[in-house]
Amino acid sequence: TPGVCPPLTPMTPMTPVTPASESSGIVPQLQNIVSTVNLACKLDLKNIALQARNAEYNPKRFAAVIMRIREPRTTALIFSSGKMVCTGAKTEEQSRLAARKYARVVQKLGFPAKFLDFKIQNMVGSCDVRFPIRLEGLVLTHQQFSSYEPELFPGLIYRMVKPRIVLLIFVSGKVVLTGAKERSEIYEAFENIYPILKGFKKAS
Amino acid sequence: LIGAGKTPTLGGGFHANLGKESRAQTLQNGKRQIHHLGNQLQLNQHCLDTAFNFFKMAVSKHLTRGRKMTHVIAACLYLVCRTEGTPHMLLDLSDLLQVNVYVLGKTFLLLARELCINAPAIDPCLYIPRFAHMLEFGDKNHEVSMTALRLLQRMKRDWMHTGRRPSGLCGAALLVAARMHDFRRTVKEVIRVVKVCESTLRKRLTEFEDTPTSQLTIDEFMKIDLEEECDPPSFTAGQKKLKIQQLEKALSKKLEDFEGEISSYQDEIEIELENSRPKAKGVFANFTKDDSIEDNASSIFGEEEAEDEELEAAANHLNKDFYNELLEKDRLKTNEDGACKNGNEAPVRPPALESLLGPLPTAASLGITESIKECISTKDREPGENTGDGELDLSGIDDSEIDRYILNETEAQIKAELWMKENADYLKEQKEKEARIAKEKELGIYKEHKPKKSAKKREPIQASTAGEAIEKMLEQKKISSKINYNVLRDLNSKGSNTPKKEDDSTDDSTSTKKLSRRKSIASRNIANPVNSVGKR
Repeated sequence: TPGVCPPLTPMTPMTPVTPASESSGIVPQLQNIVSTVNLACKLDLKNIALQARNAEYNPKRFAAVIMRIREPRTTALIFSSGKMVCTGAKTEEQSRLAARKYARVVQKLGFPAKFLDFKIQNMVGSCDVRFPIRLEGLVLTHQQFSSYEPELFPGLIYRMVKPRIVLLIFVSGKVVLTGAKERSEIYEAFENIYPILKGFKKAS
Repeated sequence: LIGAGKTPTLGGGFHANLGKESRAQTLQNGKRQIHHLGNQLQLNQHCLDTAFNFFKMAVSKHLTRGRKMTHVIAACLYLVCRTEGTPHMLLDLSDLLQVNVYVLGKTFLLLARELCINAPAIDPCLYIPRFAHMLEFGDKNHEVSMTALRLLQRMKRDWMHTGRRPSGLCGAALLVAARMHDFRRTVKEVIRVVKVCESTLRKRLTEFEDTPTSQLTIDEFMKIDLEEECDPPSFTAGQKKLKIQQLEKALSKKLEDFEGEISSYQDEIEIELENSRPKAKGVFANFTKDDSIEDNASSIFGEEEAEDEELEAAANHLNKDFYNELLEKDRLKTNEDGACKNGNEAPVRPPALESLLGPLPTAASLGITESIKECISTKDREPGENTGDGELDLSGIDDSEIDRYILNETEAQIKAELWMKENADYLKEQKEKEARIAKEKELGIYKEHKPKKSAKKREPIQASTAGEAIEKMLEQKKISSKINYNVLRDLNSKGSNTPKKEDDSTDDSTSTKKLSRRKSIASRNIANPVNSVGKR
């Protein structure tokens, strides 16, 4: 039966290294950053929700307060344990600033909030290579890393090993990179994938 | 470590099954479900066997844990369909099981990844015979299928199939093929067979319309194959959007330029008008004009500046002597070391401190330039670093902005009312829960559900022999109630050969009930062997 390889003993698959080292000249843009921080004090969520203008709290649906600020435009999930998740910022500095603003709001509502262990958990970037990509070909040659199921998702899901990033590659040439903890990982992943994508460029 | 000795109870039937290992039970159950589902899909025996093999692999890799068995079965079957190239869609399985297709898809992707099976990409041509048959073209079935296949090939060359559900393309191809052969199949009929949405089908038809092939006549199409390959529709749409964005940007820039020009003209006109206005004279004239205050202010500063200059001159004069002295000293110093750069740069205004204290030791002379550079660079690297105790850094946060996010008294009251109304059910539930807990506490049967502690502190096992230690450990860990402890004990003493069969038969009747209550078994004294299932 074609296409079936018996499960082998585990070996670490390496992303194929391409010889050309010319830079692509395209820089992925960061679209979203998810970060967490510990406010280090127990919070009364009902109290916060009823005193803050920008907070919603639906205990039946989700056990956290959802708070939003306009500048930087972000959303935060604040849990009763004092932990907080901040999403929607476009740069690391913005994410930190937004998290500090949320902590300040919580402080002003009467809780002794601190700002411990701020950590960026995930960064999402996107860019456009400006040429159509033959996804069927890519999934054939890089089958160890790619997963392409048009019945489920129109894009090809490429799981790069080093750096550990997941890329969503679309036929229109748009690429989404996610799973990074640092900005450099996104740039590195894109520089790795660009020569591979060029190899599957539609001949025109 | 399962008790050896096969007792002659072959006709046990129900009880024998109960005695089987859980794994075998799972596999048997899986086989049954695979056959049941596979027959509904009309898969042949070979496919069903392969699916069962996949299932066995999945179970051995513990992929069934935490997942619904039906999902795993469906994933195994779909994997077989893909590797064998049968025209079954994931949607068919989803229809049969009434499960969301994306949930099944997730399980399928995981299974394929874990089993390292790379299913080849779906070719929409596979579905044509199946759908054509369902559309009932009678005698002309073969012809219509051929035309549809040709259309599909054309669509593939025009990059219409990448990233799309193959069934949608098939539907479009079949619809066009049917029309080409004078069959009046409506869109509704086709989508019922093909299982896509009407808008999807229309979109595919529109996209095909945009390709140059659609302009050919039927005869031309059957003979000619155009060389040019179109770009995928999403790419063209993306390029169009990009162009529009660029145009908009250029347009807004032009607008800005024009606005700038207009405002500069405006300013000039204003200035001219002012100049042509009659000017008021006299001391009070300054106070009548609007910008007079600024003039006054600048004149005051002008005076101050004049004073400053005088001071500067005086300071320079005083410093001159010191300055000369310093220069002398520095020149001597540079002649000596030849390395000190700082002295060479003669400052315009010599720092008074140096003149008083004499030349200060520089970083270079002390030899610590490197370490200082390091310290400075680390400081630069983490400007926003928390202070040691995690205090919130308030720099860059506008307090008034934060205050705007907090409600005042009346607003808070209104929100509280609304929230109470919205969440009345939840609050009621909470109250009932608390009342229940309070009652249970009173009665003394309150069981608090504490989160599971991962590290259980166990007492160290005190045992005199290795065998005893193993027994006690097994009891603690509650590994299996089916272990024949007698055999364990006999392992060390090689004398005895078979375990006590008499115990088996007597314990049989009582043990079947106790099989399900593991805890009680584990807590039993192991001297009485828990070996009801000792027969293998």
